[in-house]
Amino acid sequence: MTTPTMAMKVLRAPRARRSSTTFLISVVFLGVVTLAAIFAPLIAPYPPNQVDLLNIQAGPSPAHWLGTDALGRDTLSRMMFGARTALLAPLLVVIFSTVVGILLGLLAGWRGGWIDSVLGRIFDVIFAFPALLLAIMAVALFGKGLVAPVVAMTIAYAPFVARLTRSLIASERSRPYVAAYRVQGFGGSFIALRRVLPNVMPIVGAQSTLNFGYVLAELAALSFLGLGVQAPMADWGAMVNEAQSGLIGGYFLPALVPAVAIVAVVVAVNVIGEELSDRIGGEIPA
Amino acid sequence: MTLLDISELTLDLPNGKRLLDGISLTVADGETVGLVGESGSGKSLTARSVLGLLPSRATMGGSVQLLDQSVLGASRKQLLGLRRTRASMIFQDPRAGINPMRTVGDHLTETMRLCEGRSAADARAVAISLMEAVRLPRPEEHLHQYPHELSGGMLQRVMIAGALTSSPRLLICDEPTTALDVTTQAEIIGVLAEQRASRGMGMLFITHDLNLAAAICDRVYVMSAGRVEEQGDARQVFRNPQAAYTKRLVAATPTIVVARGSGASVDAGTDAAAPTISDAAVPATTVEAASASPSVAVPASEPMLSATGISKTYVRRGKEPVHAVIDASIEIPRGGALGVVGESGSGKSTFARMIVGLEQADAGDIRIAGRVRTSVPSSRVERLEHARSVQMVFQDPYLSLDPRITAGKAIEDAMRLHRRLSTTDARERVLELLEQVGLGDVHAQARPRTLSGGQRQRVALARALAIEPDVLVMDEATSALDVSVQAQVLSLVEEIRRERGLTVLFISHDLAVVRRLCDETVVMKTGEIVERGRTVELLGNPQHPYTRLLIDSVPRPEWNLEAVAAEASALDVERAPGGVGS
Repeated sequence: MTTPTMAMKVLRAPRARRSSTTFLISVVFLGVVTLAAIFAPLIAPYPPNQVDLLNIQAGPSPAHWLGTDALGRDTLSRMMFGARTALLAPLLVVIFSTVVGILLGLLAGWRGGWIDSVLGRIFDVIFAFPALLLAIMAVALFGKGLVAPVVAMTIAYAPFVARLTRSLIASERSRPYVAAYRVQGFGGSFIALRRVLPNVMPIVGAQSTLNFGYVLAELAALSFLGLGVQAPMADWGAMVNEAQSGLIGGYFLPALVPAVAIVAVVVAVNVIGEELSDRIGGEIPA
Repeated sequence: MTLLDISELTLDLPNGKRLLDGISLTVADGETVGLVGESGSGKSLTARSVLGLLPSRATMGGSVQLLDQSVLGASRKQLLGLRRTRASMIFQDPRAGINPMRTVGDHLTETMRLCEGRSAADARAVAISLMEAVRLPRPEEHLHQYPHELSGGMLQRVMIAGALTSSPRLLICDEPTTALDVTTQAEIIGVLAEQRASRGMGMLFITHDLNLAAAICDRVYVMSAGRVEEQGDARQVFRNPQAAYTKRLVAATPTIVVARGSGASVDAGTDAAAPTISDAAVPATTVEAASASPSVAVPASEPMLSATGISKTYVRRGKEPVHAVIDASIEIPRGGALGVVGESGSGKSTFARMIVGLEQADAGDIRIAGRVRTSVPSSRVERLEHARSVQMVFQDPYLSLDPRITAGKAIEDAMRLHRRLSTTDARERVLELLEQVGLGDVHAQARPRTLSGGQRQRVALARALAIEPDVLVMDEATSALDVSVQAQVLSLVEEIRRERGLTVLFISHDLAVVRRLCDETVVMKTGEIVERGRTVELLGNPQHPYTRLLIDSVPRPEWNLEAVAAEASALDVERAPGGVGS
């Protein structure tokens, strides 16, 4: 007795496994940026803070591929070093928020009852604050730098992961296979941690990948405001900020390059995240 | 006059798979034609092709002629015209087929207003008369109700009324009663037959149930793997099948007929099922054979499973409490098999869940192999002991296996939870168990997704047996399977019962299945056990009117729908809301 919907599902030819070109480009691009960030000290043509006052606001040239900024620092080199904080900080936020979010979501979804209600209300409260505002508050309380914003962003983003995990776990919990485990005599924590959690991990992971892009943009905004990475350290957000004054003089490049990089990385991460969740979505049995 | 003429219809997918292979069938005015087959036979596809509801990338061949219009190759507009005036379709699951956000009235009047340009009041009047025609109790009130307020049976009536708004010449019914209880099915079939007769429509009736097809159709086509295997007069095909496939299908179809004149010919035709049925006819031998098995360490006098005075009430905030199970008592001797039969909402599943410990009874006492198993296990040791005393096979094999865990691992995990075994020993044991349920090494490595429904249910069975329980509870364990697969799984269970002396509690809505497997049967209705006794006697000579209604509602070639309806109204059956098979 197959339901008609199931019959139709079978009929649909399997999803085309061909990766889209945009997805491939995104992967390659992110790979290049990551490698550039990791090996910056080895491959950057200049030290990031080497001032060359004879060569300020220079356009692209064989010596300076992406030109120089108002202090004559090589934009390409600063981009490479800047990528380190631009990528590392969001990565940390994503890892921390995913771990915290999964634990809280698992607790709320599996136990239900008052724990679920209390956690749900707490998440609602955190959702009410924009992440950037939380980060600014953290900076105001604990001082400038990257540590406070990373902690604040973790707190801001953990509820997204927790909400998703909670709803997935809650729906999974009512499935007959969980009842089957119980009947077999398995304990609750074993079923939750070893059997149910791995089944929802792919979806949660895909969501966390998407979070990476948002966090990167918001941390860049924080650095742009001068609250994140501090001068003279290179960071994409900070570089846009430093290049602001040059814009009036018609020197677009020093601001344009980091700005485009931020947008490109965020877009690439989103493309990858969506493709991943699409693929996983196709594999999760309804 | 021929309404529908399908000839040499073929359907190919882009990957070269042929789903329909040379289907030819006709439906005439006022005729009911059955299309019978198991899942994957292409029966739904054939029906959908009539309305042009086909997968977009499929390549079609042959011809489909509806009245004077060819369907294949018709333009969008022509197809719309066909769907609006010539033919309509009723789907299996009324809950999935009706927009849950709109009222029943919207559903019924929408097409009349948009397609025929009737005024709202006019459409409303037509809708009310149609709802009366399909015997909905309070048409005026139903107009303003949402689908969730109606039971499955009532919704299917709404669906039928909706299909009739366009006064179709041909009504296509795709398993319209599969999701419904057997008594509701009888009512719906009654409505359909009445409407067909009064309107002189042609009806194409798709079903997996050969009994049902034989009961209501004039002619049937039996399909398998995209081909028509056999066609002819419905009862003729059922009584005297010619094609090998039909013979197998008829043999596999369980029957409730208890050796009474008319049933003899049916039983005679069932070569595969015959020996097992004769077993059921003399259940005493089975029980004795099982009692002789030395593996069970309970004194012979004591029942293996005894549940006394079990009650369960669900308290709902702001609503009437639901008495799911009321003072139910059963006893199964060791090696015995007891069937619990009831419709959805009868509390049979809740009862089963209490026995395996997934729910706690409010009152009553459950003893398995002499030990009290009523309370929640408080420690790991108790939990494991409880698990060793009772195991369960669930209804839906697609949901009861963990999608990520391979079949072999699932069985191994269950086994190693209860016994210390080295990896190699465990693997060996897993293979033994898989072989016992008719699977092999290949299946051990397979994830549930790649297994068929029957194979999954075998894995679930092997997993339950791995723990070597005293009692095995099977909750509708075969109702999601095709008849032929169901027959295989049932024989398997019978075989294991014989070999191991396993005690089985079998929950089902299907009297015929229970008849095949169980020595004794209890009938549940709205939480209470209304009748109990030996299965053969209970079926042959039912005492309680509800049991009689259940038995008479089961479709069969000489089916008297009026008698069933009269019985139902005499009993004034008040089913719990829902009405969808649980």
